[in-house]
Amino acid sequence: MSSQRQETADAPPLTEEIAPGTASDPPVERDAPATVTVDGTTVTVGVGETLIDAIERIETDENVPALCHYGREGIGPRSECRTCMVETDDHGVVPACSFPVEDGMTVQTGAADASQARDVNLDLVLSNHNLRCTTCGKNGRCELQDAAIDAEVEEPRYGVLDDRDEYEPIDDSSSFIQIDRNKCILCNRCVEACNDVQVEGVLRLEGSGSDTRIGFQSDAETMEDSTCVSCGHCATVCPTGSLVEKGIEDATTIPLPGFTQKNSVGKSYENTGKTKGPMTAKKRGDASGGDRSRTDGGGGAATGGGETAESDRASGDWGDAAERGGEWP
Amino acid sequence: MTLLTADDGPVLRVAGPSRLPESVSGADSAVALVGPTGVPAVEPLVMVTLGGRTAFHARCPTDRIDEIATRVGDAGDVTAGDPDDVRDHEPGRSRLPTPDLPGLRTGVRDALGACGWRRPTDPDDHEAAGGFTDPDPETVMEVGAELDGRGWGDLRQDAPLAEPWRDVREGDGDPAVVVNAHGNPADALLLESAPLEVLDGAAGLAGSLGAEEVIVYASSDDERAVQTAREAAANYPAPSVPVDVVTGPATYRAAEPSMAIEAIEGNHRLEARIRPPDLDAVGLHGRPTVVHTPRTLAQLSVALREGAPPETRALSVTGDVDHPATVEVPETETLETVVDAAAVAGELKAVSVGGQFGGVTDDLSVGVAPAELGAAQLGSDGVVRVLSADRCVVEFVGQRTQLAAEENCGRCVPCREGTTQLAGLLREVYDGGYDPDAIDELIEVMTSSSICAFGVQAGRPARTALSAFGDEFEAHADGRCPAGSCLEPLEA
Repeated sequence: MSSQRQETADAPPLTEEIAPGTASDPPVERDAPATVTVDGTTVTVGVGETLIDAIERIETDENVPALCHYGREGIGPRSECRTCMVETDDHGVVPACSFPVEDGMTVQTGAADASQARDVNLDLVLSNHNLRCTTCGKNGRCELQDAAIDAEVEEPRYGVLDDRDEYEPIDDSSSFIQIDRNKCILCNRCVEACNDVQVEGVLRLEGSGSDTRIGFQSDAETMEDSTCVSCGHCATVCPTGSLVEKGIEDATTIPLPGFTQKNSVGKSYENTGKTKGPMTAKKRGDASGGDRSRTDGGGGAATGGGETAESDRASGDWGDAAERGGEWP
Repeated sequence: MTLLTADDGPVLRVAGPSRLPESVSGADSAVALVGPTGVPAVEPLVMVTLGGRTAFHARCPTDRIDEIATRVGDAGDVTAGDPDDVRDHEPGRSRLPTPDLPGLRTGVRDALGACGWRRPTDPDDHEAAGGFTDPDPETVMEVGAELDGRGWGDLRQDAPLAEPWRDVREGDGDPAVVVNAHGNPADALLLESAPLEVLDGAAGLAGSLGAEEVIVYASSDDERAVQTAREAAANYPAPSVPVDVVTGPATYRAAEPSMAIEAIEGNHRLEARIRPPDLDAVGLHGRPTVVHTPRTLAQLSVALREGAPPETRALSVTGDVDHPATVEVPETETLETVVDAAAVAGELKAVSVGGQFGGVTDDLSVGVAPAELGAAQLGSDGVVRVLSADRCVVEFVGQRTQLAAEENCGRCVPCREGTTQLAGLLREVYDGGYDPDAIDELIEVMTSSSICAFGVQAGRPARTALSAFGDEFEAHADGRCPAGSCLEPLEA
């Protein structure tokens, strides 16, 4: 079955078509060993490492969550969560995960500005996270939960994402991988695993501002309709319960009557039950039809490039849209 | 076409319109369409020059051009035809002699000298002004030691350029020069009106860096600027490097240098790159890249023929003014001079200084030099927005913050989530929940830990307004809008 119409799979090299929507970052890793001083301790940084490696090697004065840092298999540094900010003598407050090490650098984790930045940024991550941990399959093995516990967060400054009206439906349409975007911290690990490591070109970052989300390069709405080959690397690298393998999505939930992992959000995309073809590259060609129905039409579709309303030059009190500013109050 | 600087007959310049009706003959005068002046309110501006004297006709309908030309021709005197102002100047002048007209009477015309005076895409006019200097690399480097980058779209805003230029020259790979004209009115004006000045600066820099290409980048909305830049590039005599003109989406963040590079590379989604290493080490397609605004490069171009940068600032005044204007003033001038150039409509309450996320103040005695603006917590992006007495500062700051929440690239937490939470904290003011300490703390972290200048600056309107107009925030917390403009919609 998998050999049928093999001749149609003569696509160009896959990497040419891959469009993850992320920036081409410069290399930041050391190309020669260096020595730095972290909280008074001398540490050697090796080839291919950044400041975070030195920090993780010793007992630092203060906790450095470095939440989005992965540091393996060519994934990251994304440097998006900014919970790894540390003070340097020469450059002020810098992100340890992505700041290129200079030989002889002096770093403090306990400096007030850096400490405040880590705390506030961790709370900002929590502000946009569905924190119904007891209904989450990653409860007890969640990097965000660990970071919040380590940082002794008791009452996040900006609350948590607990407005059910704002929740995106859980994408439960795939037989193998579930997406709950309400728990996504946009660390981009899954996108890099999918594109840079597995070279599948399925996931991407899309939208901008508060509409930024993980989506599909094929413009599909659901995991089932996407070109996903169910390799599972995205679920492996996900720091939270946002991408989980089906079957264990409720592995660690607390058995409260009436509350399940699924209804913690209250809306979902379900599998359509349609038979799918083989999981080969040729699927790209015929899976793009958008007429498959969903059992839940709950919206949640992002607009293509996220550049909406930018040509809106309608004149108003303050001139064009950009000059007028955002909707207020 | 004949040189505009020839003095064997009247020369009639028309500034403002993008084209002239075919019916215009100019009688016995040579008629030249020049670029915009930076003050749309005086345009179409018709200027008749004979020898060392120019007469100005502001807001002159194009169907009067032939009449003026005929009367000047008959009288042999440019003052015929009821001009609004007349200026004497050296014959063959290559820069607009500033008339006593709204907006144009303010400041000087050095970096903006070609605007409204020389034909934008005509190499003869630029050459007659002393352009196409073909400088040697060390001369360019010497200018770079005393020239600062202009605007947030510049790789080195308010910092000397010689250092990145040396890094680029010594870096790995073929250097690239990017002209970032995205989003700033003075930069768009320079592309529309003085593109050869900009390209001359870029070409001189490219030659000194050994760059393989010059890329002009502008907003897709600035169609006239893009079109004029393309024509100027095509007309550029014996270009030493190829010049390409590309556009990016008309959204504010697309002017940020790393997002400009992403747009030029063709990424469908724009987000900031992490730095360091900065673009001068790893830029366009991984090559060492300098990114400078037209304002910076026009300063360089003028400096290359006159020996030193003019040390002026181009500023654009918008908002509650009678006639928005882009003016060039010496760095010793104050905001008051600049604001006066546009004439405040009504009573002035505050100005937002420094672009979309400028600082809010009511003190117009601050100098326009970046160091003075910085000391006053204001921005040096060159855009000043006037708020008149009936504007609510809380509303203005709220709108700026909400815009930041909607238009940020979405990459880093302090900007993406911080702007959303900041807008929330500002909204809570309306419900009595005014917490200046929480607002300050959040803005401090956005400023210290965002990846790019968007997030670093996004909190500036709120931070500066809190200190200059704290009583307005307190009044809103008490349910009262002093300007009477923004609480009614909530109660309705």
